Amino acid sequence: MEVNLASLVQPASSLMVVGLNHHTTPVELREQLAFSDGALDASLPRLVDTKTIREGAILSTCNRVEVVAHTPNLDAANEKIRVFLAEEQRMALPHFAPYLYTHINQEAVSHLFRVASSLDSLVVGEPQILGQVKDAYNASSALGTLGTVLHRCFHKSFSVAKRVRTETSIAAKAVSVSSAAVDLACTVFDRLEDKTAMVIGVGEMGEQAVRHLRGRGIETMLVTNRTFRRAVELARTCNGTVVPFDQLDKHLYLADVVIGAAGSPHYVLHSGMVEEALEERKRSPMFLIDLGVPRNFDPRLNTLDNVFLYDIDDLEQVVEDHKGERQIEAVKAEAIVAEEVNKFWRWFVNQEVTPTIVALREQAETIRTREVEKTLAGLADLSPQAKESIEALTRSLTNKLLHPPLTYLKQRHHNSVTREAEYAKEIASPHVIRQIFGLDGPKE
Amino acid sequence: MEVWLLTLTLLLYLLSTALFIVGLLSARPVVRTVAPSCLLAACLCHAGAIAVRSLTVGYLAVTDIYEALSFFACLTAAMGLLVQWRLPVSIFGAIVSPLGFILTLGVYVFYTQARALPPTLQSAWLPIHVTAAFLGYAVFVVAFSASLVYLVQEKQLKQKKASSFLRRLPSLETLDHLNYRSLAWGFLLLTLGLLSGAVWAGYAWEHLWIWEPRLILSVLTWIFYALLLHYRSAGWRGRRAATLTIVCFAVLVVSFVGVQFFPGRHGGQFG
Repeated sequence: MEVNLASLVQPASSLMVVGLNHHTTPVELREQLAFSDGALDASLPRLVDTKTIREGAILSTCNRVEVVAHTPNLDAANEKIRVFLAEEQRMALPHFAPYLYTHINQEAVSHLFRVASSLDSLVVGEPQILGQVKDAYNASSALGTLGTVLHRCFHKSFSVAKRVRTETSIAAKAVSVSSAAVDLACTVFDRLEDKTAMVIGVGEMGEQAVRHLRGRGIETMLVTNRTFRRAVELARTCNGTVVPFDQLDKHLYLADVVIGAAGSPHYVLHSGMVEEALEERKRSPMFLIDLGVPRNFDPRLNTLDNVFLYDIDDLEQVVEDHKGERQIEAVKAEAIVAEEVNKFWRWFVNQEVTPTIVALREQAETIRTREVEKTLAGLADLSPQAKESIEALTRSLTNKLLHPPLTYLKQRHHNSVTREAEYAKEIASPHVIRQIFGLDGPKE
Repeated sequence: MEVWLLTLTLLLYLLSTALFIVGLLSARPVVRTVAPSCLLAACLCHAGAIAVRSLTVGYLAVTDIYEALSFFACLTAAMGLLVQWRLPVSIFGAIVSPLGFILTLGVYVFYTQARALPPTLQSAWLPIHVTAAFLGYAVFVVAFSASLVYLVQEKQLKQKKASSFLRRLPSLETLDHLNYRSLAWGFLLLTLGLLSGAVWAGYAWEHLWIWEPRLILSVLTWIFYALLLHYRSAGWRGRRAATLTIVCFAVLVVSFVGVQFFPGRHGGQFG
């Protein structure tokens, strides 16, 4: 509601986003519409001109294709972007048009901010999107398709993303079972770089967990499996050392993190084995991650001192809790976005109004001096005091005449955010005032 | 001047308590940089108050309950700052700041006018003995806090309650390490405190040792910590070590507070 009213307060130009994303559009279609880096460089300059689209940028990732534009004519720009997408990607417009969304003005700014802050991502909080937005900005900046407005808009989107990342913990929550497991390992261990992990079994889950552990810097990896050959394969991919399965208990003490991913009907780790390992490693803590179904590790292991056991259900519960916490964090993040959109919008309207105010004043001053000179030229014998009075009179006249429109413009600017609804009812905008006062020269 | 500085100190402790708690609950990084500065300011103010008093009486002002409490509070806050500097998490500040506040509040209750010290006790051993012992106590406060946080963190992990609060606490490994290091340092300082006390007593009372509750309790505390440190070196870690650290700290508190109710040459009237 607020946004609709706001869009009625038309500044002389508008911002818009036209695009489609993973929420509504199937991947086949997104693939076809996506721009490769090379294609983007070739296409983007064709989007921007001086008349309909003053500034433009394209954000193309595997999850979204979006065109951001600054335009003096919304309808024409909307049409142009659609045709542009169809022509550049050689697709029939009706084929993808139903999937396109159009965001205008504050809504467009808000959309860009939300995208950059990863609030619109498939996995909310994932960090890659900000890099992609930055790439899109750099590409269009290099091609020269950005002006003051979009430059600022993109820069703002980066700082909003940063605020969201630092002020909410939306990005700090693990969303997969294996990343949750690694996160938990970090609450036990100070750092993972000097730790050793042991993987028992070579399932898909085990591999994922290994990848996450590697990603967090764990150096030494031990791999063991009933079938020796497959253990060797996994060890090769993760640069680990193979431990023969029957010697598992002898090497267990080396492991700070143990991942169970074996398809075994019995427990692979028992209290006795772990107790011995603990003795051997001077009670240094062990973090056990059981990803097996049925379970690989005896659940009673969790009762041992300095042993922390998480099975797949526990981890799924953690992920579930995170989703709940994410929702709370998302509310905070949306508030930050809304605040920043308001700030940006105030600036945008301001940069539209200021030139109008300046132009009005300049025009009045030009007319006044010209007319005063004309008049005084015919009245050569006037005393200096009388000349002074005429100057004063004309100055006061123009000032008084200009007062109402200037006040209107200034107030409109200052209240543009808080009193949008009221102003929406009125028709006068800088654009209209420019026309009324003929600031853009006579129309041909 | 002194009372004025103490009031300011009290307010700063309160403010930094609030800031550290906010830092613990929210993700705003601003709070995390402001809170340590506030604690630092409190600490400096407090040191200022002690310095003013010491200059007035002409020796390190640590000889009655009021002065001892104040000195101890200041050292504890300083130790908290030290940990905060090495380990930038809000939790230790959130423990040390309110402790500083409560102790300083206690200082108000016991406030006494400055007075002269009997000449027998005026010696260079006074600052050495008291500083070593109290610094040791302050380091033990750190060990105690680390153990307390360890137990909370450990319990949450065992019960599989992974909250975001948990994430803002240091890892178990860090806490255990901090516990070990502060125990070792604290023990060293406590030992120095006892030895210097004995030497001083040798000069002042002409006995190295007198059978008095305070001294007996002090040695008992020392024995407790020695045992704890021994078991830690032998491989006791984690929850067991944390629990024992808390027990030892309880003994320390009893000996520190309880002794105030016993009459004797040491403690009570003079230090």
